[in-house]
Amino acid sequence: MLEIDVASLKMKSPLVLASGVLGSFSPSLSRVAEHAGAVVTKSVGLQPREGYRTPVIINTPHGLINAVGLSSPGCEEFSKELSKFRGDAKLIVSLFASEPDDFVKLSSYFDMADAFELNLSCPHVSDAGLTVGSDPELVKEIVEKMKSRSSKPVFPKLSAATDYIEVAKAAEEGGADGIVAINTLRGMAIDIGTRKPILSNISGGVSGEGIKPIAMKVVWDLYEELEIPVIASGGATTWRDVIEFILAGARAVQIGSAFFYSYRVFYSIKESLIAYLRKEKISLNELVGMAHKTV
Amino acid sequence: MFSMRIDKIIRHSDDVSTLFFSSRLRSYPGQFIMLNLPRYEEIPLSLSSPNSVTVRAVGETTYALIRLSAGEIVGIRGPFGKPFTPTDGKALLVAGGIGAAPLYYLHDYLKRRGAEVKVLFGARKAEELVWKDRFSVLMVATDDGSEGLRGTVIDLLKEEELQQYDRIYVCGPEEMLRKAFTHLKEKEVLGKAEFSLERYMKCGIGVCGTCILEDGSRVCAEGPVFSGKDLEGVEF
Ligand SMILES: Cc1cc2nc3c(=O)[nH]c(=O)nc-3n(C[C@H](O)[C@H](O)[C@H](O)COP(=O)(O)OP(=O)(O)OC[C@H]3O[C@@H](n4cnc5c(N)ncnc54)[C@H](O)[C@@H]3O)c2cc1C
Ligand SMILES: Cc1cc2nc3c(=O)[nH]c(=O)nc-3n(C[C@H](O)[C@H](O)[C@H](O)COP(=O)(O)O)c2cc1C
Ligand code: FES
Repeated sequence: MLEIDVASLKMKSPLVLASGVLGSFSPSLSRVAEHAGAVVTKSVGLQPREGYRTPVIINTPHGLINAVGLSSPGCEEFSKELSKFRGDAKLIVSLFASEPDDFVKLSSYFDMADAFELNLSCPHVSDAGLTVGSDPELVKEIVEKMKSRSSKPVFPKLSAATDYIEVAKAAEEGGADGIVAINTLRGMAIDIGTRKPILSNISGGVSGEGIKPIAMKVVWDLYEELEIPVIASGGATTWRDVIEFILAGARAVQIGSAFFYSYRVFYSIKESLIAYLRKEKISLNELVGMAHKTV
Repeated sequence: MFSMRIDKIIRHSDDVSTLFFSSRLRSYPGQFIMLNLPRYEEIPLSLSSPNSVTVRAVGETTYALIRLSAGEIVGIRGPFGKPFTPTDGKALLVAGGIGAAPLYYLHDYLKRRGAEVKVLFGARKAEELVWKDRFSVLMVATDDGSEGLRGTVIDLLKEEELQQYDRIYVCGPEEMLRKAFTHLKEKEVLGKAEFSLERYMKCGIGVCGTCILEDGSRVCAEGPVFSGKDLEGVEF
């Protein structure tokens, strides 16, 4: 009942695990996959990368702030880990790099991937992520190169903190199969007891419930501007949030920070979505972007 | 996150101290906190009572912690994780080295509920049987025989008539956990046994994915306390 296509990916549900959340090892990816349409891995680069010292994550009443620093075992080790993936969902490997050729090289390590997400939006590293994703020409070149080497779907993931319409259009021109929006937004927290910034990196990326309205607006705008599908990310916590994103134009909705509440979020949201569609006698495909017709 | 003052410190030995916070945390035995000493790393530590942690120095952050002075302020997130399941009946606590930390808390908690509690405590040498007078009914083992039985806590465990206990709680180094698991499985008492596991942790709240077991469980959220049954067939 929840089946949906995103570009050429036939997914059993619109629910997708967001990159960087429970995505470093195959056992957790496989477990989440049980009730997901797709799972996105932790972003991986060519070289191993330590990440920042702890504290790297803070939980606040409205979401999380993280500065993990793209810690990664590097593509060789990570491809070995992902070869153990046994999940019943599409596997999307998230890549980060600074140069177009490096993205292509990275993708060659991951035969097991059903699609690639390009992390053009991580706000807390200086040589990758948002630094790359703010440059429309560069984004277009990256996507073109990726598409010329592989037939697998490529989904650039954008930040709300750029001219995202311009960047998304450049990606679409380059041949992107869909756009993921948004990544975390820059933020920080200071402890009033110690009077110091809490994260070792001082600032990080804000995710969770608090950023949902911002993500909603970006998804809305991209649905208006693009032909290719939009995949929402940012604050989805309940089944109502998922429906809201779909009404705004998302064909799939990623969920990350909500795992703070329960490992079973995908299961409970899935069940609620089915109940909602039955009760409303409507299909997911009809719901995608429906709110645009009401204004 | 919030911060608390360290009110008091007990130095049990060269490398183990207990740090007492200025107030009690609403918590259950078996839960842990993420503790951050400014300028050092944030690390997971089990509560050894509602207002303390008992720390063994193994690296940069833990070395700094055992040498703290009263009055310092530390950052705290938590308590997190699944606690031990209590009993009002007969309880056996099996502690290896610094694995005793959460069991101090559990011991007092169970006694207050009226449970009958016996503790088996093993360490390399007598000095490492830290804070053993916290335990009222106690049997000890040391590798070098400097106190109690010469041998390990597993040797003590093998002497026990396990059927009589309603619950068995185990915490200690991995090697010891595995041996205890094997023995309890042999004796067919895994169903009433609980194990407290350790994994490297970054978030403590089930999102980062660093603490994953082979079956996909998160040690910080589904654990750190796992029932013997949950761990069957899982490499740990
Ligand atoms: C749920 C949980 C509860 C814990 N409770 C206690 C406690 O009550 N008392 C206590 O003294 N310690 C406890 N630990 C272990 C403690 O977190 C580590 O000793 C600490 O993180 C080491 O930090 P460090 O900077 O001093 O050492 P590092 O310099 O980071 O490491 C020094 C050595 O310790 C090892 N180490 C690092 N992190 C861990 C870890 N998480 N688990 C095991 N070994 C590690 C490293 O491999 C290295 O050999 C607990 C760990 C977990 C996961
Ligand atoms: C701990 C953590 C790590 C993350 N790591 C990555 C990453 O490696 N790559 C990436 O593209 N996004 C990463 N993100 C961002 C998420 O994929 C997601 O876009 C963002 O958290 C918003 O969604 P949410 O509110 O559902 O969490 C991370 C988020 C968190 C909380
Ligand atoms: S420490 Fe982050 S998921 Fe367990």
